[in-house]
Amino acid sequence: MSETLAAFGTLLRRLFARRGAALSLIFLGLVALTAIFAGLLPLDPLAQSVADSLKPPSAENWFGTDELGRDILARVVYGARTSLVTAFGAVFIAALIGVPIGLVAGFYGDWRDSILMRCIDVLLALPNILFAMALIAVLGRSQGAALIAVGIAGIPGFARIARAQVMALRQLDFVMAVRGFGGRPSYIMFRTILPNALSPLVVQAIVLASIAILLEAALAFLGVGVPPPTPSWGEMLRTGKSYLYEAPSYAVLPGLVLTLTILSFDTIGRALTALLDHDETDASGATVGGRR
Amino acid sequence: MTSYVLRRLAQMLPVLLIASFAIFAMIYAVPGGPVAIIVGENASAEEIAEVTRKFGFDRPMIVQYFDWLSRAITGDFGLSLHSRQPVLHLIGERLPATLQLALCAILVALAIGIPVAVASAIKPQSWFDRLLSGWSALALGVPTFWLGILLILLFAVELRLLPSASRYVPLWESPVDALRSLILPAMTLGVYVSGVLGRFLRASLIGEARADYVRTARAKGVPENRVVGLHIMRNALLPFVTIVGLMMANFIGGAVVTEAVFTYPGLGRLLIQAITTRDYPLLQGCILVILVAYMLINLTVDMLYAWIDPRIEYR
Repeated sequence: MSETLAAFGTLLRRLFARRGAALSLIFLGLVALTAIFAGLLPLDPLAQSVADSLKPPSAENWFGTDELGRDILARVVYGARTSLVTAFGAVFIAALIGVPIGLVAGFYGDWRDSILMRCIDVLLALPNILFAMALIAVLGRSQGAALIAVGIAGIPGFARIARAQVMALRQLDFVMAVRGFGGRPSYIMFRTILPNALSPLVVQAIVLASIAILLEAALAFLGVGVPPPTPSWGEMLRTGKSYLYEAPSYAVLPGLVLTLTILSFDTIGRALTALLDHDETDASGATVGGRR
Repeated sequence: MTSYVLRRLAQMLPVLLIASFAIFAMIYAVPGGPVAIIVGENASAEEIAEVTRKFGFDRPMIVQYFDWLSRAITGDFGLSLHSRQPVLHLIGERLPATLQLALCAILVALAIGIPVAVASAIKPQSWFDRLLSGWSALALGVPTFWLGILLILLFAVELRLLPSASRYVPLWESPVDALRSLILPAMTLGVYVSGVLGRFLRASLIGEARADYVRTARAKGVPENRVVGLHIMRNALLPFVTIVGLMMANFIGGAVVTEAVFTYPGLGRLLIQAITTRDYPLLQGCILVILVAYMLINLTVDMLYAWIDPRIEYR
């Protein structure tokens, strides 16, 4: 356990050494902390005051007020909860279903592989947002429906990466050794191969988090996401769009926070990929010096 | 080639069958189902029973599905629950608008994406390359709906140059009006796609630039713009075309959202309307048509592949 923590610490330090990744980590930390401890802040996302509707940013309301006189900053902070809960929930669902599918398909590589991967192909054939919308049309609008819809859309990514990892690892000596000792397939898949295939899966989780946040906001923007009055960034953009002439900051500021969040996840994901790729080329030595 | 295309088209059938059955099953699973929508909220038990019988909802699901399927094959997707018009007619009205938007967006994307990729691939890791890579990251990360709002704020609210809501005007009827309505949505969608194009084409160009045949070409004195334009570009386009095909799903999603931002009367808005009013026949029709379009685009991309690279032969 302490070993994992130390490795995590090293990785974090190396991420902080990159300017873009460091800024992204700080921004995401800020968003996450305000979302978690929103209750301690003097912000109320639901308090209405029609007399103060559509005010521009001011000392009392840093981001201005919406059409019902609610504080937009408060709604952005509580909207971060909606976004982050959807992102984590969706990544969890996608990994929970996608990783075992990929492991089994890649490990056996027989009819199980064909059947599972055809199912994944069907899922891939449907544009994400279309699938999510169809599912929500059936389940009805709720936080749960949005989370499940976004989560299922993430399954193919995990399944494909897990499958590729297993296929790369299953013939290696240490896996053959466990096999030789009589390890059961489930033990080999989950206890021997999976721990060694974690890095690309973690990167995929971060990439998916940014896709999930975008997808959740898009669904809310289209009016089929988390139902009101729960604050959601996409929903705020949807309403703010009706008041572009009266209060331009209404749609601009929540959108800015949303965009920075997505960009941060994306930047960290790419920095991690670069770090891990670098490690691998160092270890093998094969590709150092460029392609010949 | 013909047999390849035919086989690919045949492979589409099972996916469409599974997808259509899944949609049908999901709709069937809703409490009350379509009946509740037709009769309204305050219907009596007799009314419900009558509608159920009249529309055949009392039959087993699998029978209803095959009934729907046999009519769908002949192009009859039923009537919209709300407007009482044939679903296919409603879709046919909207399809040209979406195609026109998609075409313009792709032109915008190519016009931005290709120069960005080429310029940054010529000198990898230079400040110019970093700047342009930053552009790709930005183009990919900025949600289309926020970018659309920003463009409306700038060009419609502040500068009052362009309309904030777009209408559909066929390009051949009135090119100026059509372009005024199309510029902002096409830019919104095109910028996003240009990010995808820029990022992947750059990677693919840099990879090809290191190949032996490029060194040979340079050594025998081929002018640099020919080396980049003809030798490198043609080979770099290969992996790139695949990526573009894979990204089509996001393109369709982006189009749905873009149409909502600009209240553009395309297929995407029809789909959203079908979902919010729970117009199930319309929903089914829209999803299937979009799915078919998506698969046909992918097939076209694969065929482009053979055209770009004569080494590839489809059998």
